[in-house]
Order: sequence, then structure tokens, then C-alpha cells
Amino acid sequence: MAVCALMHIVWRVKLAAYLIKSAAPIGAMITFIGLFSGSIWGIPTWGTWWQWDARITSTLILFIMYLGVLTLHGSFSNLEKADRLMSILVIIGVVNIPIIKKSVDWWSTLHQPASISVSGSSSIDPSMLYPLLISIIGLGFMLISLGILSSRSYILSREKNKKWVSDYV
Amino acid sequence: MFNSEFKNFNEILDMSGHGIYVWSVYLVGISIIAISFLIAKKRIKTVQRKIKLNNASS
Repeated sequence: MAVCALMHIVWRVKLAAYLIKSAAPIGAMITFIGLFSGSIWGIPTWGTWWQWDARITSTLILFIMYLGVLTLHGSFSNLEKADRLMSILVIIGVVNIPIIKKSVDWWSTLHQPASISVSGSSSIDPSMLYPLLISIIGLGFMLISLGILSSRSYILSREKNKKWVSDYV
Repeated sequence: MFNSEFKNFNEILDMSGHGIYVWSVYLVGISIIAISFLIAKKRIKTVQRKIKLNNASS
């Protein structure tokens, strides 16, 4: 989304803005699932469903940012202006990503430090690591396919008055 | 090759008392993702129908 936002701001690529608008609900959905499942799992492991822990709080901010992107875009009748402001908000919001990644190292709270490392050895047992990696790949493909479906309908609705859309449909 | 931690289906459901947490997350997660796919597919059909109507009227 950040790359698309940059492309839209610098080169005014319309498609980049369409992709951001299509990806934002999917990002919000997957972040919500992460927060929800983490809360449920927090009850047996930490004894609480919610704590203002650095990782949880920064992820909640990410969820709010996604909602902010969608709300901001929906609040303008001028769609070109909405695209531009949405892209700026995405660029601002991307600052939160390294904070989420490093939150478990910078603040000593409920979450343990990272269990999976690309460069060093992972602390997670291989019996869980490999199914986890396979699941991450599977989820990635599923989200890509959902993104393609979502962007297809959004591009069609935005470009509905263009000749190529009439020819396509 | 594959040693199961569980002896029967009830143990899989129960997961040593953690079943309610594990399966409720599966249920909610899969439901949300499935609904998202359905919404996305329905949107495509709706947009295509609107465009066809628009083309027919013009």
C-alpha cells in the first residue's frame, strides 16, 4: 500500500490509488482477525483478553489507520482529491509498521520477543514452525486472490464511464 | 512420519481444554474471510450488471 501511495503521489498513477482503496478493507479485516484471535488466545495464556501491551496497542493503531483510510476516502465527493489524501495518510501510517515489528524488542511487555528469525535461529519448535510457514504462505495467496477480486470490482466501478469497460463487460 | 498428539476426535475438539479458544478463532476467522470473498464476488456481479444496464440505455 505504501509503494502504491508513493506511486500515486509522485507519478499520479490512478491504478495505484485504486489498489490502495481495494486493499484497505482486506488489511482492516486481517488486522481485526489478528486482534480478535489474539484476544481469545490471551485468556488461557495471559489470563486477560486485552492489555495495553506495545504490540497489541500498535496493532490496534494499525486497525484504526485502515479504518481512517477508508473513512477519509469515503468522506470526499471529489474522488481524485480523496485518492490523493488517502495516499498521504497511507504514507504517514506506514511509520507504524516498523513500530509494530520492533515493539516486542523496544518495550518489555506481555508479548515475548520475536520467535521467528530470518537471519538467526528461530526459538519456535520445528513441529510448529513449518506448519506456521506453510499457513503464512497459504494465507498470503488467499489474500492476494481476495485483493484481485476486490480491485477488479473497484476498478470497474471507478472506470465505468470509460470505453474499455463497456467493451470488457 | 506423522505422530498425532490426539487419540480420538473428542481429544482434537477438546485440545486439552483449549478447544473452545482454538475452534472459536477458526470459526470466526474462516467466516469473516469466506464472507469477504462472497462480498467481493457479489460486488463484481453488481458492478457488471450496472454497467450493462448503462450500456443498454445509452
